[in-house]
Amino acid sequence: MNRVVAHLLTRLYPRAWRERYGKEFEALLQDGRGDLRTSANVLWSALREYIFPTRGANMAQQINSFGSIIKRPSAFLPLAMSLTALTLVLVHITIFGAAREADEGTTAHLWQILMAGQMPVLAFFAIKWLPRAPKQTLCVLALQAGAVLASIAPVFYFNL
Amino acid sequence: MRSTRHVVEAENDTGPGHYSDPPLLVLASLASGPRHGHAMIEDIASLCGTRLGPGTLYGAIARLEQLGWIEPLPAEERRQPYRITAEGLHVLRAKLKTLQHFTKAGLRRLEAL
Repeated sequence: MNRVVAHLLTRLYPRAWRERYGKEFEALLQDGRGDLRTSANVLWSALREYIFPTRGANMAQQINSFGSIIKRPSAFLPLAMSLTALTLVLVHITIFGAAREADEGTTAHLWQILMAGQMPVLAFFAIKWLPRAPKQTLCVLALQAGAVLASIAPVFYFNL
Repeated sequence: MRSTRHVVEAENDTGPGHYSDPPLLVLASLASGPRHGHAMIEDIASLCGTRLGPGTLYGAIARLEQLGWIEPLPAEERRQPYRITAEGLHVLRAKLKTLQHFTKAGLRRLEAL
């Protein structure tokens, strides 16, 4: 089989599977027949791997990849809360201007709830994931910190 | 070991006389010594006339390795040989005995027709 086709067919499999079997599987495809039947067989098997993933051998390590950690609610919720808070501030500035108000309005209260509410989630995430996958967790924490800073920045910049 | 449902799904040669239970075929192929993927396909084809597709073969290999019935040996360039484990041999023996009983019973019934 053509090298490029073999590579593309191997790419159809989930990353965890590819990292374990990709190299040898690609070599097998290159050695074998390159007909439509083989391609259909690989396509079907790759689809099966998504539906009924093989969890074994070295693939358990992939559970702690950056991609899988960022999908955890405790990882993406703080990000979503910070971005929502940032959106609220920007919408408020767009509609009402950047002038400081005497009383805190609804927007300010929502912003405070969103920013304070994510702290326990952030702490939970750090406590749970730092010991398991330090490098990946630090990357996610850096993202979360960036989102927090981004949502705080306009408040301080405009002295709201 | 997978159920017979998988046999229907994964077989590549569905003509009469062909037998295709990929995990069992892989175990049977490795029973005579370590082999890499391509050699397994050829061996299985000569053993029972079924030519497994690469996806089907690696689906079986991955699951058998997960079950601890086969294990990888050091790679030979880009090829990865596998060998059957003691547990795999035990399972293969039991499966083949079951098949033997089944075959005998089935043939007896046919003779009675």
